[in-house]
Amino acid sequence: MTESQKVPFSELDTTAIARSLSQIADREGDLADVFFERREEIVLAPADRAPGVICCQDEGFAVRLAREGKSWLATRDEIESGLLGAALKQVARVVPATSYPAPLLKVDRPDPPIVSAEQLDFPRRVTRAIRQRLAAFPLQLTVRSHRRWLRVVRTQLSPDPEHERFFSCEADLPWARWGTLLTRLDESAADRVARNLTALFRAREAQPVISGRQNVVLGPAACAVLLHELVAHALETDTLVLGGRADAALGAELGGDLLNVIDDPSGAPEGVKRTTDDEGTMVVRRWLLRRGVVEQPLADLFAAHSSTSLVAGAGRRGHRHEAPVPRSLHLELLCGQSSLSELLADVDEGLYLPEASRGRLDPLTGDFSLFAPHGRIVRQGALGDLVGPSRLVGKVADLLRSIRGVGNEAEMSGAGWCAKGGVKLPVWATTPAVALDSVEVEA
Amino acid sequence: MTPAEPGPSELAASVLESLERCSLSESEVLLKQGRSRRCEIGPQGQVMSSSQEQGWAVRATNSRSSLFVSGSGRPSPDIEWPEPDGQSLPLPPAQEVEEWQTPQDLDASLMSESESIGLLEGIERELVRELPGARLLKGLLEEGTSETDIFSSSGIRGGFRSRAASLHLQAVGPWSGSSATMILLAEREVRRFQPLAAAKCLANRLLLQHQGSTPSRERGEMLIGPAVAVRLLAGLSPLLIGSSAPQAAKSYRDRQGHIGSQLLTVIDNGRLPGGVFEAPVDGEGLPTREVVLIEHGTYRQALVGWERARADASRSTATRLTGNRRRDSWRDLPRLGPSHLYLKPQTDVSVASLLGSIARGQYLIEPVGTGLFDFQADRFHLPVCGFEVQQGQATAPLSRVWIEGSIGSLLRGIQAVARDLSFEPLGGMIGSPTILVTGLGIRG
Repeated sequence: MTESQKVPFSELDTTAIARSLSQIADREGDLADVFFERREEIVLAPADRAPGVICCQDEGFAVRLAREGKSWLATRDEIESGLLGAALKQVARVVPATSYPAPLLKVDRPDPPIVSAEQLDFPRRVTRAIRQRLAAFPLQLTVRSHRRWLRVVRTQLSPDPEHERFFSCEADLPWARWGTLLTRLDESAADRVARNLTALFRAREAQPVISGRQNVVLGPAACAVLLHELVAHALETDTLVLGGRADAALGAELGGDLLNVIDDPSGAPEGVKRTTDDEGTMVVRRWLLRRGVVEQPLADLFAAHSSTSLVAGAGRRGHRHEAPVPRSLHLELLCGQSSLSELLADVDEGLYLPEASRGRLDPLTGDFSLFAPHGRIVRQGALGDLVGPSRLVGKVADLLRSIRGVGNEAEMSGAGWCAKGGVKLPVWATTPAVALDSVEVEA
Repeated sequence: MTPAEPGPSELAASVLESLERCSLSESEVLLKQGRSRRCEIGPQGQVMSSSQEQGWAVRATNSRSSLFVSGSGRPSPDIEWPEPDGQSLPLPPAQEVEEWQTPQDLDASLMSESESIGLLEGIERELVRELPGARLLKGLLEEGTSETDIFSSSGIRGGFRSRAASLHLQAVGPWSGSSATMILLAEREVRRFQPLAAAKCLANRLLLQHQGSTPSRERGEMLIGPAVAVRLLAGLSPLLIGSSAPQAAKSYRDRQGHIGSQLLTVIDNGRLPGGVFEAPVDGEGLPTREVVLIEHGTYRQALVGWERARADASRSTATRLTGNRRRDSWRDLPRLGPSHLYLKPQTDVSVASLLGSIARGQYLIEPVGTGLFDFQADRFHLPVCGFEVQQGQATAPLSRVWIEGSIGSLLRGIQAVARDLSFEPLGGMIGSPTILVTGLGIRG
């Protein structure tokens, strides 16, 4: 293995770190961990911009002690023994004179940032794919490469380092902005980006949606955003506790028989799949909803500590300077029986929304909104004219009960950047299309 | 014996040299370090964080392309720089920085754990006292200090210290199925937050949202509190900030060249004493100054980057360049934006006297969502809550109300300005006192 191929944090003396942690986790039920993180973001700006290339590499660690509903966190922007020793003292809240042995930390320097050939070439691939669709329009494409290496050391547990790599793409068009997450920058990704941008271009002067109750078919990408907002956020323990105990949601009926939703970080696409979460807990294939009934909410160690019914493994950190929160990583909606054309065939008059740009859930009122940048009218089961932006609104429970069909072909997509509570995280989904009966649509 | 680490200027010099060796003829190095404390009570229990952050950033360019590289810790002079790309990046020339006294409160210690928990619990107690059954869903208090040094190949040698604190509160009323309300405040020190006022503000918003009636369309005199007025001012930023702002503002000028009421004076001041962003230089190392954007209703200038200011100056007389770019962190590029952008208060006018002067109208005190400003259609609307006012007395609560009207009417309709200037963090500190406006409408 050459220097550049070494996995960061693989040579940490985890035994010594765990020993130091056990000295501060000295009470029954204490949780102590160290989260080591290295991040790299390389941004290739559009050709007419300056600076043309943007690289950020940063690393550091966070020490955490959780005790009886309270957590103490000490974070640093360098990985060095003395700093770790000081951080351990800080979370233990002891006088600085108290001496904890500072574990030796051996961490290789990051490799120099390099813009990959696929990143350099991606804007050209997208432009080519747009031309193949017989379209041409002004486009400013920013392509970002995101990498993160992390390792969690707990008092009795030290799983292997994890690595994530994915891309994000932002397009500035004269009439709209659009963005997506991608796990690869290949021809099929370029084609997907081109398909969406061309649809936005063709819909720019499309007729507005007629507001009112309509039957709607959501394409896989729109369904991904819907599930993230309405199922994942609703079943995160930090949302559930706003209404009382998080485990009180177990067994609640949220939707019909067709709604089988799973969060499975280990089944996420290559590049973002995980074995452990950001708290070092093994991830599980978690049935959020089985036949519409809540089976296992998204919980981190904090929530699982307060209830024997909750299972940890969904702890995620936006950054080492932030405490972990329970979040989804990769959602799946199990496929149903119908093809997309069959789902559409049942719609006499309605809308087909292939993608959603964002969504919002008010966890206290159950009100939601889902924004779609464009769509197609459906008449007698056939796709018709393009329509402009629309918004689905209503109550979560009503919408989930309105699902009358689930497609039989799932697609993987980036559900997008989640920013709940100010914590920015990429989220992924593998979902088929869904058909919704009589939902409120606003232009 | 370990050799002493080089100081900021030696370190920056070695980085600038290494960039020059890579044929990046113009370059700039920013070094930043800071520490912060954060206390949160909410769904994840009580979380106390303490961070020590250190980072650096480099912008460098040659005649054809450019790069921005940043990292945590300290930069290594032997770093391998990536290939620059895109276009050449103009970097600012060195400018003389006026005398600067570092504010004394920068040296005060950061909040302690007990102090911050005490403040949040105090707010929760007061909230429940004001509105029994209400709950604080989230309280987040942050305070930090930092030191920034900027060096460039054009001779910029700037440095400054800063300090900021923020308070984010989210609360819900005692009624089932009602939505939460949220406030975000910023000060230089945690000790400047007023827990009683914050709790009252939350309780007022919750009560108004729940009890207020929704009026039909009405016009009349409108007393607009600072929290609403700062959102209106923030909504006007396309007329005030950026190189296209003067052109956008042109369409609002009347025959005398006025854009607004005689009482409309808008200023941005990066050196505002006591301000959260008070600093001698901006995120590029250029000196900050008070810039009058609108004076007694007359449009003077927009807040623009130094490149635009220099281009404009070359057509008239030489001018001192002003720094108007801030960096959110060392990871971020400097971006044009307000530091302390505010509507100038009238020190001799009290809010009570303005309220007392209203025969029939509304007193709109809190925003309840984001508004929309459409400059092409010359229309705006903003969701708010407040009170009906008759003969100088608040008579009934109002909720689910939208202020609406033309942007021109908003600019020209200011009849009076009070003295209670207050700032909110809205992508820069935006400030306004209470204003009395006519010519706008409200609707449910």
